[in-house]
Amino acid sequence: MKASLRTRLLIGVVSAVLLLLSLFSIGIYTAIRAALLGQFDVSLVSMAQVLAASLEVDANEIELELEVQQMPEFQDRERPTHYQVWRMDGTVVAKSPLLENSDLPRLEGSVIKPAFKEIKGKGGRVERVVGFSFLPRLSDSNDKPPETESLMLAVARDSTEILSQLSFLRWVLLVASASVTVLSVLVAFMVVHQGLRPLNAIAAEIAAIKEDELSTRVGAAAAPRELLPIKDRLNELLSRLEAAFKRERRFTADVAHELRTPIAGMRSMIEVTAARDRDKDEYEKVLSDCHVIVENMQTMVNDLLMLARLDAQQISFQTEQIRLGELMSSCWRPVCDKALQRQILFENQIGPEITCQSDPKYLSMIFSNLLGNAVEYADDTGQIWATACRMDDSVEVAVSNTGCHLTGEQVSQVFDRFWRGDSARSETGTHCGLGLALVQRLAKALGGQATAELQPGGVLTIRLKLPAKPCV
Amino acid sequence: MRLLVIEDYRPLQQALTKGLREAGFAVDTTRDGQEGLWYAAGSEYDVIILDLMLPGMDGLEILKKIRSQGRKSHVLILTARDTVEDRVAGLDLGADDYLVKPFAFEELLARVRALVRRAYRRKNPQIKIKDLGIDLTTQRVWRGREEIQLTVREYALLEYLAMRAGQIVSRTDIWEHLYEFKSAASSNVVDVYVGYLRKKIEQPGKPPLIHTVRGRGYTLGAKP
Repeated sequence: MKASLRTRLLIGVVSAVLLLLSLFSIGIYTAIRAALLGQFDVSLVSMAQVLAASLEVDANEIELELEVQQMPEFQDRERPTHYQVWRMDGTVVAKSPLLENSDLPRLEGSVIKPAFKEIKGKGGRVERVVGFSFLPRLSDSNDKPPETESLMLAVARDSTEILSQLSFLRWVLLVASASVTVLSVLVAFMVVHQGLRPLNAIAAEIAAIKEDELSTRVGAAAAPRELLPIKDRLNELLSRLEAAFKRERRFTADVAHELRTPIAGMRSMIEVTAARDRDKDEYEKVLSDCHVIVENMQTMVNDLLMLARLDAQQISFQTEQIRLGELMSSCWRPVCDKALQRQILFENQIGPEITCQSDPKYLSMIFSNLLGNAVEYADDTGQIWATACRMDDSVEVAVSNTGCHLTGEQVSQVFDRFWRGDSARSETGTHCGLGLALVQRLAKALGGQATAELQPGGVLTIRLKLPAKPCV
Repeated sequence: MRLLVIEDYRPLQQALTKGLREAGFAVDTTRDGQEGLWYAAGSEYDVIILDLMLPGMDGLEILKKIRSQGRKSHVLILTARDTVEDRVAGLDLGADDYLVKPFAFEELLARVRALVRRAYRRKNPQIKIKDLGIDLTTQRVWRGREEIQLTVREYALLEYLAMRAGQIVSRTDIWEHLYEFKSAASSNVVDVYVGYLRKKIEQPGKPPLIHTVRGRGYTLGAKP
């Protein structure tokens, strides 16, 4: 399982806060550091310029004015400012007495663009050095000016104070960032918790749905817009589930009904008959009635089993070339007598040339059901006819009968399991409404489909579209 | 007692009708819902045995209609639908009993007898009127200690009079509760059967039990 939404949001928010704070702190630190050092450098450079200006070249002497040497900056032992002046050949011209034996580095800068460096001074102090080459001022008393010679100057000043200020700033920024981060964890926790509340509410609602209460829907009245699609899809799913469950319950109830009713009939017949002595004819009548009931129940159980196997795709088909006309005629034979009794006329209009690659056993089951159904529902002295035509890569077989009293809406239900035209059972007590359901599922399993159509004049046509070549 | 059986499955309908008739009930029967409603609305049946899934009109619809018409017939729903919701729906619509198929015929008979007793506010299946004893369950009749043998019709007549003992029972009432809709008999046969019954239960030296109330009918028990 992936990390929870809450954890992810928390980590995201806190990381973002941390990143922004770091960038911000670094920015502030850099800016302040630049400003402080800039200021320091400016004063350092001006000091160096004062020094440079106070150097006088007199004949071959180079002199630093005494008053400059006496400036308090150069005398402060605690925070000394050092200077050192060289000729270009490296000989030292002048040097702070406080430097004693040590030297300042010689830096290759110019007056316009002095060079800076940080050095470690005595006692672990950090000093900042500015250095440049310059042309010294000539002494006024000199009549004959000597050749001008560049000098190099370095001035160093203790910058420990600035560094400690900067280090203090670093600490302040670090502590502030850390506290803000900790605070942001708390705030983010609350915000995330609050923000995820609708999600939790929906989750709780969903968790409360039990399998036997599928009629409930996820309400989430105040659901935010982002959750609406989830809610809607979920409710759609629930509706479909509920419908499926309802269908299954209905089917189970129908099976129970269809099995209980004949059992109740037989049981009552047997119990009533056994209640007293009866003559032979009566017993024979009851036995033959029971026999018919048992046969019908057997058919129904077989149909149910077939439906279950079809649904579970447990049936394998063996296809061969079938002449549809011949198969239709052979399927007519079992119902022929019944049709004759009711003077129903059957016409097989399927030409001998029409063939189809399919499973003969199951196809004949389909045809038998279609014809049996047609005989059952045709009016007395009505007609039944079977036709077939070849399409591009399929064959369409149609069985029609007259005398259909169904409405268009009812026709759309004929393939439902256990659905039957209202008066059917009372007339015969046999058909339980599985025949056409079986036809449809068998047709589908054979790679085709079955459709029902009501035509003017009370003609019901069941069309069967089968692939000419097997796809199973 | 007169029953109406509305059941669309022919074998069951025939067995029920036969068994109930042999148990001494007058039985009207139909397999169609609409027709069932027509029967139920037309007469005051003692008990209606009603299937739920019917062609023409649903059983619950029939029940609703006959109750809204004020019919007091006791209704026993006989159906393969066995869920609690189905039972509750049936009973709440005004049915008096509910039996799930398949059932033992004995049980159906017992329930019908119980409903008949309830219809006439009799809790005790033994009726005693002076020294006349009737066992409603075994359908045996005694006068004092002596058992009296009655035909099915005579017993049915006595049972109906005994259920309404002390009341004046009109010929029409008797005819309506003892004869089927399709019966060819007219209400005159009532007088004939009352005559047969009198011969069997009245005994010399004992006070008469069946009294004729001129122009109104008969009464069993004390003279009005």
